[in-house]
Amino acid sequence: MRPEPQPPLPMTAPAEPQAGRTAVPVWLIVLLFLLLYWGMVYFDQHSGWFDAQVYAPYRSAAELARYQPPTGGPDLSRGKVVYENICGLCHNNDGSGKAGQAPPFVGSEWALGSPNRMIRIPLAGLSGPVQVNSQSWNLAMPAMGAALPDDDLAAVLTYIRQSWGNKASAITPEQVKAVRAEVGNRTQPWTADQLNAIQ
Amino acid sequence: MNYGPLVFLAAFFALASSWCGFVLTPQLQIGRLQQTITVGGAAMTYPQARPGLARQGLEVYRANGCAYCHSQQVGQTGTVLDIALTDAGTNQAATVAALLKLAEGSPDHVPALTMLRPLQPGGSNAASATILEGLPKAFLRSSTREAANAAIKTLNATGAKAQLWIVPVGPDLARGWGQRRSVAEDFLFDSPVMPGSQRVGPDLADLGARRPDANWHLRHLYAPRLEDKGSIMPPYRFLFEKRKIVRQPSPEALALPGDLAPGDGYEIVPRPAAKALVAYLTSLRADAPLFDAPMTLPASAGTPASTNAPVVPGTTSATAAPANAPAK
Repeated sequence: MRPEPQPPLPMTAPAEPQAGRTAVPVWLIVLLFLLLYWGMVYFDQHSGWFDAQVYAPYRSAAELARYQPPTGGPDLSRGKVVYENICGLCHNNDGSGKAGQAPPFVGSEWALGSPNRMIRIPLAGLSGPVQVNSQSWNLAMPAMGAALPDDDLAAVLTYIRQSWGNKASAITPEQVKAVRAEVGNRTQPWTADQLNAIQ
Repeated sequence: MNYGPLVFLAAFFALASSWCGFVLTPQLQIGRLQQTITVGGAAMTYPQARPGLARQGLEVYRANGCAYCHSQQVGQTGTVLDIALTDAGTNQAATVAALLKLAEGSPDHVPALTMLRPLQPGGSNAASATILEGLPKAFLRSSTREAANAAIKTLNATGAKAQLWIVPVGPDLARGWGQRRSVAEDFLFDSPVMPGSQRVGPDLADLGARRPDANWHLRHLYAPRLEDKGSIMPPYRFLFEKRKIVRQPSPEALALPGDLAPGDGYEIVPRPAAKALVAYLTSLRADAPLFDAPMTLPASAGTPASTNAPVVPGTTSATAAPANAPAK
């Protein structure tokens, strides 16, 4: 008995897939260069050149410099330190005063008025009834500024006159020196009437 | 084929380059950041370390997850140069004429206030008096610093006093969340920093400036909807204590209206954690003009509240950090 005829074997098995080589299309190279160019332009415009001080929306230190506020204002930092160490304990660090302790400086006619009058208050103190911002106070302030050097006292008085919305002239150390000489060794605190007589 | 080393190198360089970008470069740039000096007017050291209670408050802020709903970084989309008059001087007609000429004659300026537009040069004195009411007020918006300086010179020549206002603008600032963008200095003394990322609630970067009242914060923590009708903040009542009044009521007791009141003989007082948290919240102030975030302080503010804490004795210009001076 003859065996069944087998179907003929395929001549070759399907080939294994193989990695070939093809040229990169030209358009892809062009696209990559365009992307690179766009990236460089973006970097140029938005990096701020990695300057640690340049934040968005500013683009460079040069642009930032154009937005700097004008300088030349008074330097109040020294007066601020003296104020917060000495005056702020009772008059409050924001100059608003404390009920039962000390009247406010904000908008106060004593703080904004004549420098001659204002300088006298810390030099000898102030006691008795006094009107501040049309409110009546009756307290005693010791001579807090008598021991301060002229320039510190001038700095703190200037700080009071030019802070928290107050806008009055600065007080110079020379003014303080002159008033200190006039006051002399006075140990009695002023009263409001005595100070009101001084312009 | 053994691609192992190649895969390792590729992964190594991918991670190393992102580490350089996200860790190393920022560390080199601001890793040694120090206090800086505020710009414009009074020069002060910024920032100041928070007081001790506020530093404890940072831990309370962290522990209660405040940063999950509140961010502490304000954005800014631009800065404008406004020319404001602080004093109209005596010759108001000349001032108004100069303003109109500047507004119409040059592409460098646009009127910041629409009220300038209907006015014609040589208009009535009454009309010019009306627009010069309520000074200081911004009238012109300049495109360049040079144009602004020239305009100020022109206005000052008429006897008026003109000022340049540098005003940061942006959606966050329009909501009143701050006065300028947040910069790295604002976070200098915080560890860890709590910049947050979600804004379920408002941004808190400048909270101490817009809500300085500690009692408001205490009542708001106890009953948010008492102070802010539409608030979705949960109440933090476990930071408070209901206490029987012995002898006389505590000065710290909350003033609560209606059915929130604890009843006769009782009072609600803040626990130490609540006091610390409020000290921290009121110490959040980012309103100092810095070189990297310049601005003019609002006219009503007086001197800059340039510190976010009371000045510690001895830390002023004498010990000031090296100035972060602009590169020439």
